[in-house]
Amino acid sequence: MTKTNPLLTISLSTRHMKKLILFAAALCALAIPASAQKFFTRDAKVQFNSDTPMEKIEAVNKSGTAIIDTQTGKMEWKVLIKNFIFEKALMQEHFNENYMESSKFPNATFKGALTDLSSVNFGKDGTYKVKTKGTMEIHGVKKEIEVPGTLTIGGGAITIKSDFTVACADYNIQIPGVVREKIAKEINVKVEAKLNPMK
Amino acid sequence: MLKKIVLLLLAAGLIGGSVAYYLWTKKVPSMAGEKSELVTSAEQLFTEFANDETAATTKYVGKIVTVSGKVRESSKMEDGTPKVLLETGSDFGVSCEFDPNTKHAHTNFQPGTMLTLKGECAGLNLDVQLARCVVVE
Repeated sequence: MTKTNPLLTISLSTRHMKKLILFAAALCALAIPASAQKFFTRDAKVQFNSDTPMEKIEAVNKSGTAIIDTQTGKMEWKVLIKNFIFEKALMQEHFNENYMESSKFPNATFKGALTDLSSVNFGKDGTYKVKTKGTMEIHGVKKEIEVPGTLTIGGGAITIKSDFTVACADYNIQIPGVVREKIAKEINVKVEAKLNPMK
Repeated sequence: MLKKIVLLLLAAGLIGGSVAYYLWTKKVPSMAGEKSELVTSAEQLFTEFANDETAATTKYVGKIVTVSGKVRESSKMEDGTPKVLLETGSDFGVSCEFDPNTKHAHTNFQPGTMLTLKGECAGLNLDVQLARCVVVE
């Protein structure tokens, strides 16, 4: 018996045909291709600053990796500590050698997921307020955290932004007494990344 | 005598303070003047990280490394910082972010060009990343 493709045997009425065309047009107009599930970047920007009356310390890392799965809301971030660029040499040296011990703990990671995936329509351009929950690992210490952020869908890409604070003590980062007044106990962290569909 | 001691203490305090101020405010120097500690090829560097990340981290991270390889991609980051990805024979490469404290003669390279760069090895994050890179002529 010859098998026939049932799709070929469906005779489409004009009304059905119109619906089909509209559906196809809607698919094409989606902000994100229907096939795209994972979005990725190698250029995630992670910036931090420590503000005290004595000193303002800033550093930026522009080569972080980030990946998000739009089906599950799971995401992973990774930055290499040595890639934080400072303005002042001594700050960079102290940060790497004394506080973060970057030769021993060369990276910081976050593995988590959106807490409410249904609040984001990945098929529609717009900015969504989101929360992410997961495990942050800094200086070899893992901690469960929940951070707020925004997720912007547009131009076929996903832009993620988040501002949060990290307490040095939570990650066993010891600040010596001599410079304690110059370094804040809580560091402000700013994250920004534009993720494109994975090919 | 007391006057001399006070003057000496003041001078010592002034010198000490100036040295501390100089050290505290000193900018990160250009990579161009830094001495390379290890020399390798992009392929060799990546292979070592791919085979044994812990051993390669101990060997390379924090060291000034000179790396030669073929350009796969030459681009500019969002803030204009030039970046070069060197071929390694795998899906990933050796990523070199240019030094913000150096004036670079060339920042745009055709894919396939052989290039030697010097930078501080930051470790493996899909690609092996080198920070504050300069081209070695």
